Amino acid sequence: MNLREISGLIFIIGLGFLLGAVFKCLPYGEPITGVGQTITALAPIEVGTTNIVASVLLAYRGLDTLGELTVLFVAATAIGMVLGQRDPEISSQPEAGFILKTAANILFPFLIILGAYIILHGHLTPGGGFQGGAILAAAFFIPILATPASPFNHHISSLIEGFAGVAFIIIGLLALFGKGYFLAPLFGTGEVGHLFSAGSLPLLYLAVGLKVGAELAGLLARLQETEASD
Amino acid sequence: MNGIWLVALPLLGAFLLPIIYRHLPKKVGKWTGPFILLINLGIALELWRSIPVDSAQSIAMGGFPAPLGIIFYVDRLALLFVMLVVLGTLILWLGSELGRIREETLLLLLVGGSCGLALSGDLFNIYVFYEIVAVASYGLAASGKTGAGYAASLRFLILSALGSALLLLGIALIYAVTGTLNLAHLATLAPYMLNDIVGLSAFALMLIGLGVKAELFPVNTWVPEVYITAPARISALLGGIVSKLTLLIVLRFLVLIYADTDAPLLLLSLGVLGVLTGELAALRATDLRQVLAFSSIGQLGLVAIAFSIPGPDGVIAGVVLALHHALVKPALFMLTEAWGGHFKRLVGAAHVSLWGTLLFIVLVLSLVGIPPLPGFWAKLLLLKGAFATENVWYHTAIAVVLIATVIETAYFMRIVRLMFQQQSEPPIKPRLHELIPASTFAALLALSIVYVGTITKNMNEIAVKVADKKIYISNTFPVWHRDFKKNALTENVKIPNSPSSKEETQE
Repeated sequence: MNLREISGLIFIIGLGFLLGAVFKCLPYGEPITGVGQTITALAPIEVGTTNIVASVLLAYRGLDTLGELTVLFVAATAIGMVLGQRDPEISSQPEAGFILKTAANILFPFLIILGAYIILHGHLTPGGGFQGGAILAAAFFIPILATPASPFNHHISSLIEGFAGVAFIIIGLLALFGKGYFLAPLFGTGEVGHLFSAGSLPLLYLAVGLKVGAELAGLLARLQETEASD
Repeated sequence: MNGIWLVALPLLGAFLLPIIYRHLPKKVGKWTGPFILLINLGIALELWRSIPVDSAQSIAMGGFPAPLGIIFYVDRLALLFVMLVVLGTLILWLGSELGRIREETLLLLLVGGSCGLALSGDLFNIYVFYEIVAVASYGLAASGKTGAGYAASLRFLILSALGSALLLLGIALIYAVTGTLNLAHLATLAPYMLNDIVGLSAFALMLIGLGVKAELFPVNTWVPEVYITAPARISALLGGIVSKLTLLIVLRFLVLIYADTDAPLLLLSLGVLGVLTGELAALRATDLRQVLAFSSIGQLGLVAIAFSIPGPDGVIAGVVLALHHALVKPALFMLTEAWGGHFKRLVGAAHVSLWGTLLFIVLVLSLVGIPPLPGFWAKLLLLKGAFATENVWYHTAIAVVLIATVIETAYFMRIVRLMFQQQSEPPIKPRLHELIPASTFAALLALSIVYVGTITKNMNEIAVKVADKKIYISNTFPVWHRDFKKNALTENVKIPNSPSSKEETQE
């Protein structure tokens, strides 16, 4: 161990100790200002979701979700810029074994259905656009792992990505024109617990799911294609 | 006009830009970005006109009232920074070749994120927009597409990711103590709940986290490397303009939450160390861009010192210093596109491009603070504010600022002398689309000399309003502000060591 490593270790231990001392002062588990409690009480009535997390993500803090979507988009764009062009030797890469290839074919429809289910039921059960989108991305990425030579259509993925992001903002702007507030829930709450309820929230989750799915799939495919370039 | 347009429009443009480039004629794509920025500038000007100086547009996102939902707080100070970012990006945009799809997308996202950062009145929302700005910055820093650029960008990413984690930890601490994220709500709670050891450590964590982008002292090691390897206009944008926004957030924290604590002294000491280390490093540097990078660390240290001065004096000094630096540094960076690299390449520059040399001299003199250039006026405001505090730490800071000014003069004059020497092998002539943005910034600087009276008056009004946290609270909670204790949300506030609060909650 040289001096640099030792000083780093001492720094980390010291920082941990300080943070521990600060955490010791925190009032865990006590209701404080009641913002959280108020939201938990109001969410089913005001927004109409049975999954409270969804109403916080899309209604009370919808702008944060738009921001998170944008962070993902920025990261994908930046990586696309750094990675550059498609590796020309990609088509000569060998296919995977029989088991992976067959499993990829069988899994594909099930993953699509599971992803779609989780996105569409985001306002009712745990899950939602981000989780479902990740599953959709997996559905499209597993075939690429099985046969690396098969082309991934970046055209379509970037189209879906762009229009899903635009849809999220347009829904927000429609609320701005209709109700006077950006990203206000539209169309009333409906009957709580039904598939068609919670107003415009399922639409927002659909946009999130499509965007996350297209973005992650495109990103993974690009990472795979350009692995060999410098 | 609703302030959300300032964020929604650039994001909409960024999502659509790759599609527009692919499916419409290339000309449409090329002008989409500048067009959106122009509209944004128009909206910002319209908001500036319609919002009186002592009020603000407080926008509840989704129609959920203040502490439950996210708030945008649009006041003149925030609009000033929005206009700075939009106008600066527009000028630098027109200075580059059009048609780089990914870079332009990232620029639009950077503008959208920066506008959100300036306008947001919610801690976590600030974090989200900070992330957008940070990630867009990594991408733009690597847009030179050189190996050195990638390496610099990666180191920037690692340091910045650490900073983001610390920022998030600080926000989490505040949320754990108070249970709310709304800045105005926090401002009403802070005297009871946040001005203790936990609150201050949260501030320290957030300051270090935000400090990565604001080039504050211990977390600015990425600065010289990134500004040398990135394209000049990106260095100009990141170093000159975007870096100021996070200091605006720090200012809001200080005014609203940590007004009567030792928190300003922490910012002051980091600022003083930044000024000292930045200027001393610039004295040793041998590369023009490195000098500008270190000098920008020093200048941001000055802004940090100014914002740490309590009251309106500090606000006006900091804002004026930030605006001045945001005009001068991008212009200087634009000139380095041709003149970057070792000083030796500058020898004889005056004989190649007299206009470029004159611009360089005027900008540098303003940066040092020679009257009648605006830099002098900005530094004077800082010294005046620091003197008025009657605190020995601020008086030490004055001495450091004066010493730093002498160092600054020394290294810049050394460069200027080189430019007038004769050289057999003349340096490259700056191209027109580098000179035009630089001249535009210089023209804005010249305008500010002419209108110095009006600007001072306006700034003074803004500074007085911004430094008063009651105005922020009453603009966010228009109904509550008279007796906000009666509201259901603040009734549950647990005030430590105060028996009367328990009686109130039992009612």
